[in-house]
Amino acid sequence: MASGGTVAAEVRASAGPRTDRTWRVTLGLLSGPLLWLALFFLIPIGLVALYSVGAITVFRTDAGPSLASWQRFLTGPSIYLGLFWKSVRMSLTVSVLVVVLAYPIGYFLALCAPKRKYVLLLLIIVPFLTSYLLRIVAWRVILGGQGVINSFLFWSGVRSSDDPVTWLIYSQFTVVLVLVYVWVPFVALPIFVTLENLDRSILEAASDLGASRWRTFWRVTFPLSLPGVVAAFVFVFIPTIGEFVTPQLVGGTGGYMYGNAISDLFIQGFDWRTGSVLSLFLVAVVGVMTVVFARFLQVRSVAAG
Amino acid sequence: MVNDIDPVLDRILRQQLSRRGALKLSGAAVGAAVLAACRRATEPGIGGSPGGARPTLEAEPGTLEIYDWTGYGDGSYGDQVLWKQYRRKFPDQAPNFTTAFDDDKGFTKAAAGQTWDITHPCAYRFPDWVDLDVLQPWDTSLISNFADLNPALEEVGRADGGQYFIVADWGFAAPMYRSSLVEPRQDSWDLLWDERYAGKISWWDSVNMLVVAAYYNGVSDPWNMTDGELAQQRDFLVDKKPLVRTMWQDEPELIQLVKQEEVVIAYAWTSAWNWTRAKHPDMVYMEPKEGRTSWSCGFALFKDTPNYYHAHEYVDAWMSAQSGLWLLQNYAYGHTNTRVDLSKLSRDVVETFSLNDPAVLEEPRTHPERHIPRRDTYSEFWSEVKAA
Repeated sequence: MASGGTVAAEVRASAGPRTDRTWRVTLGLLSGPLLWLALFFLIPIGLVALYSVGAITVFRTDAGPSLASWQRFLTGPSIYLGLFWKSVRMSLTVSVLVVVLAYPIGYFLALCAPKRKYVLLLLIIVPFLTSYLLRIVAWRVILGGQGVINSFLFWSGVRSSDDPVTWLIYSQFTVVLVLVYVWVPFVALPIFVTLENLDRSILEAASDLGASRWRTFWRVTFPLSLPGVVAAFVFVFIPTIGEFVTPQLVGGTGGYMYGNAISDLFIQGFDWRTGSVLSLFLVAVVGVMTVVFARFLQVRSVAAG
Repeated sequence: MVNDIDPVLDRILRQQLSRRGALKLSGAAVGAAVLAACRRATEPGIGGSPGGARPTLEAEPGTLEIYDWTGYGDGSYGDQVLWKQYRRKFPDQAPNFTTAFDDDKGFTKAAAGQTWDITHPCAYRFPDWVDLDVLQPWDTSLISNFADLNPALEEVGRADGGQYFIVADWGFAAPMYRSSLVEPRQDSWDLLWDERYAGKISWWDSVNMLVVAAYYNGVSDPWNMTDGELAQQRDFLVDKKPLVRTMWQDEPELIQLVKQEEVVIAYAWTSAWNWTRAKHPDMVYMEPKEGRTSWSCGFALFKDTPNYYHAHEYVDAWMSAQSGLWLLQNYAYGHTNTRVDLSKLSRDVVETFSLNDPAVLEEPRTHPERHIPRRDTYSEFWSEVKAA
């Protein structure tokens, strides 16, 4: 024991200065991102929070300190809260659909297509090289009353040409569809990475032990890839709650989302106070959800049997 | 081993915290300094001193910054001709245009500190702009065409004893529809919520929809409603909202919707009618029995503009009778210059807008847009219509 202690002391002594320098370098490198985060994330959120209660004012017409905006939002007629839950429901739908659609893509790329997988991955990512707005607006051409789908229906005789399918565009369906379309490539990536990093020997072991392919997938592959799936889910869910560009362009009156309310309050309605309240509420909810999901991401064990 | 590690960890953690804390503090200090600098910069009167001597025309920088609607000089529709005389006088000093899509957005920008030389707001916002304290009155003696302008409309642009706005253009807002596909029960605003055409209607994304609903529902003063009346209009519009396909935010969007036959009925300005009737000659611009609303917009001069005389020259060019004729021919918008030669216009434009009847803009036939004193409350109710 004594010799172990001496060895430990020697190791610590010899490792001492190098550990110190490593920490210094780490902190030096971290200071850039930390400063960035502080300046452009924490401080602005703090300012918005102060503005929402009137502790700071920007315009001459701003009222003084009061919690009235928060009160009205939380306890008054719940139009914005109702809109928030509607947006959460739509985001959940989008996120689930995206993960369900992206998982097979990631699975195929990681575990079934060894030779050309990076070329295929590149093909999936290529749409991002075009403008986001163009990709959304292009859906009008496809889904419109005189668009591709309806023209096909007229041509094939399924519907007459003065009775196009109208719910394809300017509706909640459109918003969900376009958001799923936009996010699937994004999400295929983390799932692909997670599956790519799986220890193949575990999968071999499973089949050696007599598990069918389905059982191997359900009992081994899927649970091991769960952290990636949850990360992907969160990756989609958080931005889509606050999404406002897609609803504005193709959502019509039914696809109006929480992000649109914030955008309109700031730009059209000129009610920055209520806009700040809505924004902070979103940040708070998303923050809480991130913490909750982070717990899920700690999953490392796979149940046996 | 644990005993050995603890002091090391302890030292590192303490170091870490203090360094991180120091970083955060310095970040906060920098952020506060940046904010203070920004706020100082947006206070008006920082640039030049209006009380001091104004540079002469030749000494001015000359390149005007203009915040105006699309197609009002920026060349989108061949409309540089609107300021033709200015270009002849100053061939090398073409103005820079920033496109305004929306009165409200422009107002918000100016309130947040953005300045230009000239902007072009509409009359129902005139008092708000004056209150912002970023404008100065025009010197009408420098505008040669001012004597020809419609005095009643120019009166709208006066405030605090000065001509703050040179009212330039005016037009209507009314329901517009395709007569081959739509048969209104009557000439009324209720075509905008006719359940026979559900899903083929478009409203304007604006508090004006509350005003229109109020005229339809017989409210006595739609421009100054009480909370109860506003709630009534809100509930009415929320009830009718499922009939609406989408709300248009700017005119190009509306024109596209109509041309692609996504909608056959819309709340529209006259220019949308003019632009779409080439493709759909059956487009009708209704005169509802409750009355159309009309708008008028005018040029405003910013307080700290370095191009005082150039700005006057530009507006003078815009206010010429030739510019007025172009505006009428291309957008079916009225121009305040009374010397516009109506005989050069197509007959249906003159008839649709009763251009030969000087009383067309008067109550009760038409409701000129007025300042909405409780605009913030109107905005709240309109947000609720959209959110519901």
